[in-house]
Amino acid sequence: MDTDPHIRKFQKELAAGTVALVLLSVLGRSDRPLYGYEIAKQLERDGESPVAGKQSALYPVLRNLHSAGLLDSRVEPSVTGPPRRYYQATSLGRAVLADWQQAWRSTRDFVDDTLAG
Amino acid sequence: MNAPIPQTIAQYLQQVRFALAGADRAVVQDALYDAEEHLRAELAANPDVSEADMLRRIATSYGSPEEVADIYRDTEVTVSRALRAPLPTARSTAAGRFFGVAADPRTYGALFYMLLALATGVFFFTWSVTGVALSVGFSILIIGVPFVVLFISTIRVLSLVEGRIVETLLGVRMPRRPAYVQRGVPLLTRIGHMFSDPRTWSTLLYFVLMLPLGTLYFSLAVTGLSLSLGLIFAPVASAFIDGAQSGIFFDGERVIPAAVVLPVALAVGILVLFLTLHMARAVGQLHGRIAHHLLVKSAAGGSDPQPVPTQEPAPIPAT
Repeated sequence: MDTDPHIRKFQKELAAGTVALVLLSVLGRSDRPLYGYEIAKQLERDGESPVAGKQSALYPVLRNLHSAGLLDSRVEPSVTGPPRRYYQATSLGRAVLADWQQAWRSTRDFVDDTLAG
Repeated sequence: MNAPIPQTIAQYLQQVRFALAGADRAVVQDALYDAEEHLRAELAANPDVSEADMLRRIATSYGSPEEVADIYRDTEVTVSRALRAPLPTARSTAAGRFFGVAADPRTYGALFYMLLALATGVFFFTWSVTGVALSVGFSILIIGVPFVVLFISTIRVLSLVEGRIVETLLGVRMPRRPAYVQRGVPLLTRIGHMFSDPRTWSTLLYFVLMLPLGTLYFSLAVTGLSLSLGLIFAPVASAFIDGAQSGIFFDGERVIPAAVVLPVALAVGILVLFLTLHMARAVGQLHGRIAHHLLVKSAAGGSDPQPVPTQEPAPIPAT
């Protein structure tokens, strides 16, 4: 039986919401601004995280979090290529992170309970 | 389509651009910018790895060009839908639709854009016309070429700025990153590309058009607002101003009394105010379309570099 496409579709749907939560928590924990590549590497170190999927998925989410006012960003020139965009959680972002964690925990508990039967 | 494994960052970006053909042009520009930032950071972090090896590895972490294209197509839609402020609920009644315009945030963005357009329009027009005139004049001098290049660069920056204004106020997706410029090519080729890029010229056209359009938008908005507010507050003014003579006069005779005229003025004023709001929202949508058309480069645009030369596909290393 070929379950592969179904797994991939499910992972993609799961990632849609969780990536934003993961990114916000990484930036909420960090005491200095981080840029896209740094965040991607940090998530890689934290374990082979299937939540992020391909790292290119992080950038659009970062940009959307920024336009929603949850992240601050500034551009700094770099010697290696195009200028880097650094992101930092705003105070609104930190407040939202607490709410999202709450929502995530209750969803996770609910799903776990349902799966346990 | 099975694209060959890219050997250079430029080829990788070219494949992303190809895989995104037909997507929103603003998304393409952002995808290329993000990918370049990531790839160059990866290259800088591993100086002992060759560009081709790094790109073969990147397929499993950042994603292959096709995967990146898919991600930008999907994630953009899902995430922006989830995070964007909700649109007002559609109203079913005709009156609800007519008055519901006041609850639509896009209306006020568009109205503000119309008022701002006079100032930005005058600035863009003056900047473009002055720049073109000076470029032509300086062309016989030694400073001619550097001046033209400098001027065209400012046009590109202003195009990004106007794009941000349009996206914020009119809600049309515009690029959030500067246009992708090919690296590693000689300066003269890059300058040549600036001139063969149709977007440079369509941006100039847009900036020149902004003077008449901006004047028109500003006049429409100010006329609509002052007319409607004047009528709405006429009863108030009449009540508070000593000796105000309200009504409609003909040859010095009051033919229609204030008791009739003032309520009618109030009703007409409210009607005109809402018509103005509707007009603002419509102008905003129309102008958003104009701006997107003239300021954002097509994914499969005319002057785009040729597709990457095909090679035997290299085996993808197992993860």
